[in-house]
Amino acid sequence: MFKEWLKDDSKIILFDGGMGTEIFKRGIKPGKLPDILNLEQSEIVTEIHKAYYDAGSDMCQTNTFGSSYMNLQKYKLENRIKEINERAIENLKEVCPPNHLIVGDIGPSGEYKPPIGKATYEQWYSSYLKQIKYLEPGIDLWHIETISDIEEMVAAIQAVKEVSKKPIISSMTYKKTKRGFFTIMGNSLKDCIEKVENENVDVVGGNCTLGSKEMIELIKEMKNITNNPLSIKPNAGKPRLNQGGITHYDQSEQDFAKDILQIVKSGAKIVGGCCGTSPKTIKEIKTVLDDLV
Amino acid sequence: MLQESFYKEISEAIVSLDRNKAISFAKKAIEENMNLLNVVEKGFGAGIRRIGELWEEGEFFLPELMLGGTIVQESMEILLPYLKADKEDVTSGKVVIATIEGDIHSIGKTIVATMLSANGFEVYDLGVDVSAEKIINTALEKNANIIGVSALLTTTMIGQKKLIEILLKKGIRDKFKVILGGAPVTQNWVNECQADGYADNAIEAVKLIKKLMD
Repeated sequence: MFKEWLKDDSKIILFDGGMGTEIFKRGIKPGKLPDILNLEQSEIVTEIHKAYYDAGSDMCQTNTFGSSYMNLQKYKLENRIKEINERAIENLKEVCPPNHLIVGDIGPSGEYKPPIGKATYEQWYSSYLKQIKYLEPGIDLWHIETISDIEEMVAAIQAVKEVSKKPIISSMTYKKTKRGFFTIMGNSLKDCIEKVENENVDVVGGNCTLGSKEMIELIKEMKNITNNPLSIKPNAGKPRLNQGGITHYDQSEQDFAKDILQIVKSGAKIVGGCCGTSPKTIKEIKTVLDDLV
Repeated sequence: MLQESFYKEISEAIVSLDRNKAISFAKKAIEENMNLLNVVEKGFGAGIRRIGELWEEGEFFLPELMLGGTIVQESMEILLPYLKADKEDVTSGKVVIATIEGDIHSIGKTIVATMLSANGFEVYDLGVDVSAEKIINTALEKNANIIGVSALLTTTMIGQKKLIEILLKKGIRDKFKVILGGAPVTQNWVNECQADGYADNAIEAVKLIKKLMD
């Protein structure tokens, strides 16, 4: 179904919004990995997925952003990799309506290559492979996201391709510099797009770090580089803690949705939100997109 | 004049991230009995400042920052024993830095620590997941000027506020400047915590601390 959506020129695919920030709103204990809630408080995860589908998301992603082997190791949870990933699918399946899709979410390993860290291609590849094989049976497509080193992205894509023939959205995270958009590791936008296209991904994307206004600029530059379908998930400004320790984001949902409209008009095929966006944001985007048609 | 060109060579070795050259220059300066304070300030210091500028210009990224910082750190370790008598003159200040309890994110904090150290600060990096009490105790013990507290998560940044509350409660808030770091930190948060500042990246952090030390 995803590939048909990609071919349908009139279809804009609505992705979901933030998961981590929604979980934190419900008061997770500091230092806890949000993904562990798949097992310990699955009703919260399911409730958030449902809220996104209800708000209009065509597809939602599993709560597995931090469930690669290397990242789980940091929380001493690597022995639970199978149950965390498998339960993530169950939690999402429970509320996924007919004709909607389930996306397998793959986030960064949290480890960098030298001179910053010690990670190698082989470590990344095997870490992702361990996660991917548990997600593969239950998902419709992949979203590899928030990666800031193109080598790590390539390792993740190649690990997916080792076990899966399902479509891949490959989404890096960029910062804006005086010389254009780069990852913090120094990979240029052009370099990143060319490298993931060499790996034959289905959709090229950008998410996190940048807000919706900067993403309008990003998509225009992406459009100049590639003819592949594009996916964009911006952050909702910067977080703020109020007196009670509750996180707020300053940008209004209406303002965010207005920018998303610009992003769609500039060529995005898939849109959603990253940190700080909520089902309310997705609902607002849905309204704006419905008006467009 | 000859010395000026030597300082320039050092600075260029740092900017081109040439570790072997930088270290051999440090050794040469010692062997030839040069004014090491000048070597540090006009050679190595100038190099690391240029790296900061290149970061701001979007020419350099994390790998260059980290590599440049490490090279200067290593060179300083060679030079420092010979500077002992003048150590107070080369030390820009003492900084105790850590990622707060409950938070295991280390990259940002480590890069800030490396850059501070490369810029002449005496840095005590306590690592990640460190309690506010431990950070304060170390700062007291080392007679630090600055406490740097990092938090990447909105759930752990509350610990930054807690640290300052403890300082206030103990009546020792004035002993230290407290700066905050981490992706979710904003000026509003600094105000609410009654901290002394925050920085978006390692280069800004060095500038901020230098300003606070003035």
